[in-house]
Amino acid sequence: MNIQFKKGVLEICVLSVLAHKDCYGYELVSEISKRIDISEGTIYPLLHRLKDEGYVTTYLQESAGGPPRKYYRLTESGRKEEHEQRDEWMRFAASVNALLEGKNDAAE
Amino acid sequence: MLQNEQEYIRILKTRLEGTLPKDELDDILSDYTEHFSIGKANGRTDEELWRSLGSPEDIAREIRVMHLVKKAENVRSCRNIFHAVVATLGLGLFNLVFVLAPFILLIMMLLVFFLLGMMVTFFGFAGIVYSLLQLIGVSAFSVWYSPIAGVFISTGMMTTGLLVVIGNYYLARFFYLVCIRYLKWNISVITGTESAP
Repeated sequence: MNIQFKKGVLEICVLSVLAHKDCYGYELVSEISKRIDISEGTIYPLLHRLKDEGYVTTYLQESAGGPPRKYYRLTESGRKEEHEQRDEWMRFAASVNALLEGKNDAAE
Repeated sequence: MLQNEQEYIRILKTRLEGTLPKDELDDILSDYTEHFSIGKANGRTDEELWRSLGSPEDIAREIRVMHLVKKAENVRSCRNIFHAVVATLGLGLFNLVFVLAPFILLIMMLLVFFLLGMMVTFFGFAGIVYSLLQLIGVSAFSVWYSPIAGVFISTGMMTTGLLVVIGNYYLARFFYLVCIRYLKWNISVITGTESAP
């Protein structure tokens, strides 16, 4: 698939997964790469940017039989951003689908 | 080259050292270390994890650009914006046209305006001095209709020149902000570090 497509939606994917539950990095990366084929390493810089922008915070939590893991959690403003981007995406995807399926004359 | 965790972390570290502050670098490296250790605990090999993460050189380049643009945004200086632009250029050929060309054009424009403003200011100032010298009878050669008119015209010239220079300063500030936004947009859209086929 077109790399630009994937790049553009990666942020909303990360926000959306985190809206369901807090994740440690590996978990989040697996969750996304299960569905989208992207180089997994690019998700970490994205997480750092989201942290800089105040959309996510991190905390350490013990894991069963291993060193503590770094968890990512959505902040209040992150939740708001997730909502906004989700709405925007849904509208956009619906419009594109309608166009591709040739329903554009229905709007007349 | 051995494709294992140590090598991956080493490449990231050497490429980012000197650009990122120590705490930020450690934070980023710990993410990748954790990724490798959990992946290996789940039965994946070093090579597999390396391949699905993508090349460490690309990742480092992306992190570098993000950091430099953030820095240029927070501390405005010619040096910082220059570094940010150069780092963005390193992301790919596409950027050469879309970042460098407008950037150079803008800088040239600002420079030309600045020089023009300075020139008009200088001639205005020289005109004032000359007219005053004429008024007190030091210089006989008359440039303008009268020395008094000369003083007024020159003062007008000098103020216009200064206004151009000041306006240029605000224009430069505005372009700086636009430039940052443009670089950020570039990062979110163009950094195409896809997993190696």
